[in-house]
Amino acid sequence: MQVPDLGFPVEVVEGMPVVAAPDDIDITNADGLRTALLEAASLGHGTFVVDMSRTQFCDTAGLHALVAAHNRARAGGGQLLLVTRGAAVDRILSITGLDRVIPNFPSLEEALAQTPNDPAPG
Amino acid sequence: VTAQLEPVPIEERLRAIQSITDAALSRLDDGELLAELLERTRDALQADTAAVLLLDFSSGQLIATAAAGLEEEVKQGVRIPVGRGFAGRIAAERRPVILDHVDHTTVLNPILWAKGIQSMMGVPMVASGRVIGVLHVGSLTPRRFTGDDIELLQMAADRAAAAVQSMTAQADRLAAIALQRSLVPTALPAVPGAELAARYVPGSGGVGGDWYDVFTLPTGELCVAVGDVAGSGLPAAVIMGRMRSALRAYALETPDPAEVLDRLDRKMQHFEPDAMATVLYAVIDPGLDRMRICLAGHFPPVIACPGRPTALAKVETGMIIGVADPVRRPVTTVPIQPGTLLCFYTDGLIERPGELIDDGLARLCDAMTAQSPEVACAAVMQALVGSGPARDDIALLMVRCQADHPANGG
Repeated sequence: MQVPDLGFPVEVVEGMPVVAAPDDIDITNADGLRTALLEAASLGHGTFVVDMSRTQFCDTAGLHALVAAHNRARAGGGQLLLVTRGAAVDRILSITGLDRVIPNFPSLEEALAQTPNDPAPG
Repeated sequence: VTAQLEPVPIEERLRAIQSITDAALSRLDDGELLAELLERTRDALQADTAAVLLLDFSSGQLIATAAAGLEEEVKQGVRIPVGRGFAGRIAAERRPVILDHVDHTTVLNPILWAKGIQSMMGVPMVASGRVIGVLHVGSLTPRRFTGDDIELLQMAADRAAAAVQSMTAQADRLAAIALQRSLVPTALPAVPGAELAARYVPGSGGVGGDWYDVFTLPTGELCVAVGDVAGSGLPAAVIMGRMRSALRAYALETPDPAEVLDRLDRKMQHFEPDAMATVLYAVIDPGLDRMRICLAGHFPPVIACPGRPTALAKVETGMIIGVADPVRRPVTTVPIQPGTLLCFYTDGLIERPGELIDDGLARLCDAMTAQSPEVACAAVMQALVGSGPARDDIALLMVRCQADHPANGG
C-alpha cells in the first residue's frame, strides 16, 4: 500500500524521535500529524518530542492529535514532550489543562537534555 | 478443467463497459444504483454471482451489503474480517485477487463454496484514498478470469464506491442533524427568577459535537453544561449524545461538579478511549446567588454584572476530558450579584483563523451587557458571527439571574 507523503517526517535526534509540527495545525492536517506522532510513539523508548516551535495556531483537531499521542506514550510507559514558542499555543495548552500533564520546553535542546538519550534499543 | 471463455469481440466488450458507465445509472438513487450496477456487472462479465461487501470501520469487518445471484449473503448478514478469506485479503492488500479454486482453504464464507462457485474474482472499492469495500463476481463453472475482466470489474467497483460514498455521506449528515436536533433542549426549563436564552448554529463543515444543556435538580439547583467533542459529523454527534446523558445521570448522583466531570471522564476513557472533549459544568444555587463551576479544558463563562465591566469569570482551569493520568479538577465558587447575566459558549463563537483567542474573548466581552438573555444572544451573535459562515459549531447559552426575584432579596 502506498503511504502518502504527509509532510511530517519523524527524525531521530540524539536517539530521540522528534516530529516537527507545522505553522498551523487544524482539521486539514491534524490526521497526518497524528499518524506521525503515533509512529514516533512506537519508536525507541516510547518517549518522543513534538517540536511546535514554529506553530502559531492549533485548533481542537490539533489538540486531539496531541492527546492521542500523549495517551499512547503513557500507555507504553513513555512520555510526550513538547517544544513551544508561540503565545497562542501556550494559551490553548493552559486552557485545556494539558500544560500540567505534558512537559513543555522552550527549545528542542532543553527537551532533549531532560531525557535519557542513549540509543534506542533494537 | 479451468477454461477461459471464448474471446469477447471488441464491440461486445465496449457494450459491456458502456452498460457499467451508463450515465442513465446516475439518475437512480444510490441504493438502486448499487443493485442495478451489480446486475449489469454480472451480465457484462458473464458471471453467475456478484456481491458488494462494505467495510465497517469500527469493527474492521466487511459486511455483505448488496448481491446479485448471491442474495443469501446479504440476508444472512455475512461478515468477513479484513485480512481473512478472499474478500478480507482484497481489502487488506488493496489489490485484485483471482481464485481458480474455491473451498474452505481459500474462502471463509461457506455460502460461496456451498453454492458451488468454482472461480472468483474480486477488486477493492476505493473512495477518497481509502478502501471502503470489496466487489466480487463468481462463476458456477470453472473459469479463468483475464486482465480485461479485472479491468471491467474495477471500473464497476469505482462506480459503486462513488455511489456508496455519496450514500453514506448523505445518510450520516442527515442522522447527525437529527441527532443534534433531538439533543439540544427544545424548551429551556422554567426557573423562578432565571431567564434563559440559547443559540446553536452548526458549522459550515456540517454538524459537529458541540452541545449545551440546562436542567434543574431535585434540590432546586439549576445546572448548566456546555461541551465540545473533538471531531465532526455523525461520530462526534453520537459521542456528544452519550456525554450529555452520562453527565445528566452523574449530576443526579453527586452534588460535586468536579466529581461529575471525573466520573464522566472515566466513563469516556473506558468506553470511548479515542474521544476528547471540553466540558463546562456549573451548578447554580436555588437562590441564584452563587455558582459552583468546574471546567474540563473549557473556556470560563463571561459575566456581565450591572454597573461593572463585563469580564471572563475567574475560574481555575481543569484537565480536558480524555487525557490519561487524570488530575482532580478544581471547583470554583462564583458569587452572583442580582441582575447578572452569565454567558456560556463553545470555541466556535470566539475562534477566528489567524487571531489570538484573547482577541475573540475581548470581542465577546465588548458585545455583552447585563440585559435580557434573548437580546444579549442576538447582540453577541451579530457582533461575533455576523453573516459570514462559521467554520466551527457554535453553542451559546445565556442565563440572567433577575434582580427583582425575591430569593435575591431584591
